[in-house]
Amino acid sequence: MARVPSSSSSAVWAVLTKEALCESRTRYAVGALVMFALTALSSVSMAIAGMSLPPELAAALLWVVLFFCAMAGLARVFVQEQEAGTLLGLRLYAASQAVFWGKLLFNLIILLGLSCLVVPLFTVFVAVEVGAWLPFITVLTLGCVGMATVSTLTAAMVMYAQGKHAIFTVLTFPILLPQFLSAINATAKILSGDIPDLSQYLFMAGYDSAVVAAGVLLFDYLWQE
Amino acid sequence: MEIRIVVDNIGKSFGEELLFSNVFAEIVSGQCLTVTGCNGSGKSTFLKIIAGLVRPSSGQVKLMLDNRLSPNERIHYMGLVSPEVSMYAALTGIENIIFWTKMRGVACSAAEAEKVCQQMGLGKNACDLVATYSTGMRQRLKLAVIQAVHPPIWLLDEPSSNLDGNGRELVKELIFAANRQNAAVILATNESGEALYGKSTIKL
Repeated sequence: MARVPSSSSSAVWAVLTKEALCESRTRYAVGALVMFALTALSSVSMAIAGMSLPPELAAALLWVVLFFCAMAGLARVFVQEQEAGTLLGLRLYAASQAVFWGKLLFNLIILLGLSCLVVPLFTVFVAVEVGAWLPFITVLTLGCVGMATVSTLTAAMVMYAQGKHAIFTVLTFPILLPQFLSAINATAKILSGDIPDLSQYLFMAGYDSAVVAAGVLLFDYLWQE
Repeated sequence: MEIRIVVDNIGKSFGEELLFSNVFAEIVSGQCLTVTGCNGSGKSTFLKIIAGLVRPSSGQVKLMLDNRLSPNERIHYMGLVSPEVSMYAALTGIENIIFWTKMRGVACSAAEAEKVCQQMGLGKNACDLVATYSTGMRQRLKLAVIQAVHPPIWLLDEPSSNLDGNGRELVKELIFAANRQNAAVILATNESGEALYGKSTIKL
């Protein structure tokens, strides 16, 4: 008799496709993300006027751009539900885990899509050469997984708060810092023609696993208000 | 299976402001309970407490299945039509119905969703984006969603708001049909006519 909210893959898929459909029709997040990336990269490119940056600085620049892009758009998944008044219905009809996974996967896809745009522009504008593409893509993917997971969780935390956008960045940065520093170090190594150590990959993968596990365990409490 | 909702001495206050207290009620499958009261008396909050979306300050709400406490959370048995619940403006009426039913694990094809839209008087607008709907049409879509999900307990908060005469008749038919299909309906209303739909009434 009770229709228990489904947390199956079909419910996750439904949340993911709903997010994609709404985004494709409103372009709320993608517009903000792409504009921020283009503005930041072109400003730096014009400021350094063709000078080549040291690998550490170039790596930090890449991750700062990705981080602030994430801050500009990824909170949308919960903030817009709250502002549009759809959150109450979602809390009533949907299973919390389906919502968490659907929104996490959507944020991850957005971030990976953005990386596909930012990285070629970054190599052109900042005049850096990526020697080892496979380690570079691995580091980029691991960093994006961590960033998408932490952003999804903190977006759920701040959705009822006033001044949610400022709190979102302030909350996300310290949680993300270990992954952020590892990603910068690993990227700097790749840009200087080296390959990151296995321990760096393991640390990043371990961080991702820990934040995903924390999300799965904590999200029910956040969802129940 | 008989569903019984027992509201046992619940009260709600926000800070030091008491909204209501000492509310007792009981409703079983196939019945309608109406909740009346002036603006700000706490009718919407009362419904949200029954749904499990808001915690009461005192007392408790029990859901009994054949006189035994439900093993599942009671939120899984509820459907809610409320001014505070919105539909996705960037989706069409049919897409909204399919999304909400999927969330509750109810199979609903596009053809079935379109049929429900037609029943609710949305007809040719079913394929339009909700952003283009009038407030009355949005209200009809909320009724279409609860009709498609068909939960055992219907919580209706001012279901006739923004509806024309035809829409009000539709609400009346929906409530009686839900009761006939053994669903329990809790109706919060300010309309004196609607207050007569219930077998019993509580005034907040």
